[in-house]
Amino acid sequence: MHTSSTLKKEFLKKWIKGLQICCSSNKKMDLMERKKKIKLSADIAMASAKNPATSWSNALISEAKKNKQDTILVNSLLGTESDLKPQKNTDRIISVHKRVQYKKILKRSCNAGKRMNKKKNLVATILAKRLVKKRTKVLKRLVPGGESMNEFSLIKEAMDYMLSLKVQVDVMRSVVTAAEVLSEDKLMKLVE
Amino acid sequence: MLHCHYTTMNIPGNTSGTDVSVLERQQARMKWRQQQQQGLSNDDHCFRGLVEIKPDPGLQYGWPDFSDACQDQLIPPLVADHNLKKRKTHEDHKQKAVSKENGVKDKKIKRCSEENSTETSPKEKPKAVETQKQEYIHVRARRGQATDSHSLAERVRREKISERMKYLQDLVPGCNKITGKAGMLDEIINYVQSLQKQVEFLSMKLATLQPRLDFDIDSLIMKEMFEVPAIGYSSEVANSTYFQVNSLLEMGNSPIDTMLRRSIGGPVSIPETFVVSSCFNQMQPGVTWDGDLHNLYRMEIQQESTTIPFQHKFTGSYEGSNLKMEL
Repeated sequence: MHTSSTLKKEFLKKWIKGLQICCSSNKKMDLMERKKKIKLSADIAMASAKNPATSWSNALISEAKKNKQDTILVNSLLGTESDLKPQKNTDRIISVHKRVQYKKILKRSCNAGKRMNKKKNLVATILAKRLVKKRTKVLKRLVPGGESMNEFSLIKEAMDYMLSLKVQVDVMRSVVTAAEVLSEDKLMKLVE
Repeated sequence: MLHCHYTTMNIPGNTSGTDVSVLERQQARMKWRQQQQQGLSNDDHCFRGLVEIKPDPGLQYGWPDFSDACQDQLIPPLVADHNLKKRKTHEDHKQKAVSKENGVKDKKIKRCSEENSTETSPKEKPKAVETQKQEYIHVRARRGQATDSHSLAERVRREKISERMKYLQDLVPGCNKITGKAGMLDEIINYVQSLQKQVEFLSMKLATLQPRLDFDIDSLIMKEMFEVPAIGYSSEVANSTYFQVNSLLEMGNSPIDTMLRRSIGGPVSIPETFVVSSCFNQMQPGVTWDGDLHNLYRMEIQQESTTIPFQHKFTGSYEGSNLKMEL
């Protein structure tokens, strides 16, 4: 898929840029800090590499910006472009969330008087619905910015997020193996 | 004035259950509305908005059918001329549609959507590019089902969700046999969680490997690999890779490049790119997430076996890389 390879390129470039920024800022970092920085720059690179910005990517970026320690990295990586976007989206997210809430209240009031047509499958359907509800809750927690989405857009966002996670994992894996190869050869050279 | 609320999603409206009469009623309603309103500029904006939002990120990647279907539906809009005649005859149906629409309007969701049944699209060829400002989801009640507006909207919603679930089945590996929402959601959750864990694991691994977050050489190689995706399938292509790596090195500004060029003999740069690109290309085709971690370990073992014969050739590049890191 040539579109995914362009995404990979974008992601890689931004990620390496972010890592170089990290590298230049602090000289000494312990393992966990380094890992966090790597992961953060990877996530932000992924989110910003999505050119038509999806809601999960904006949510990711706005979450990252809230954390005061990382704002420098985030801002330098993103530039001034994305300053406008998160605000708009938070407003939109809030209004969507409210709409979802109102809709739920309306539904409950309307469905209060309805009766189930088929009594045979009553228990099964109730169970199934509960399962689905539970799992959509879990999915909402997983996908960034998924709390304030209705079910339909949640699925779409989840799909998009999945695809980009896949891309991220592929790129990271190849970088890791490349780094491994280099380090192994260095060791071999030292041994000689 | 009617408003269009565009959500971030774009609903292609590929419901299979709609009839031809739905389409006719849509256009009839459109005509009626256009006669009542005079400002078409608003519609134009809406239409343009619809077209702009169309290139959906999710549509680009894994859903070729999806996006093609959308293309067919949205850009040439749904107006057919024979519907104008039918409009007069179907006035009683129109009234029914109006009542349904009012019911739908009471629902707080307002979406701009276009519906097209797959049966009718090959038959009707739209002529005029009229603005397709539709607010309400037009549904016809099937025989033996409730005609309540709420349940209709519910049904539409359910159908759309099931459509999306089908696409998800293609995305998430190993979901062909699972039917039903709950199972599918479970698989999705597991998959997303595993991907996130992989990211964590890989970033940890990278943190252990690179004490100083230095990625210069790797980045060069990786960039080179991306620019020429055909590399690495066989050693026959090795010569071209050598030349390309050389050109890439020439592009760089650091003074080490000259050293690299001198020290790197013919085969030196090739095994590196070959090794790296081979691991990269192995990842791309059909790696299931079930065996992903296993693949990673297998890959590492392969790397060890391939690097052993090449070790003596790496001297030049490492002198260069050491110098670079010291800077």
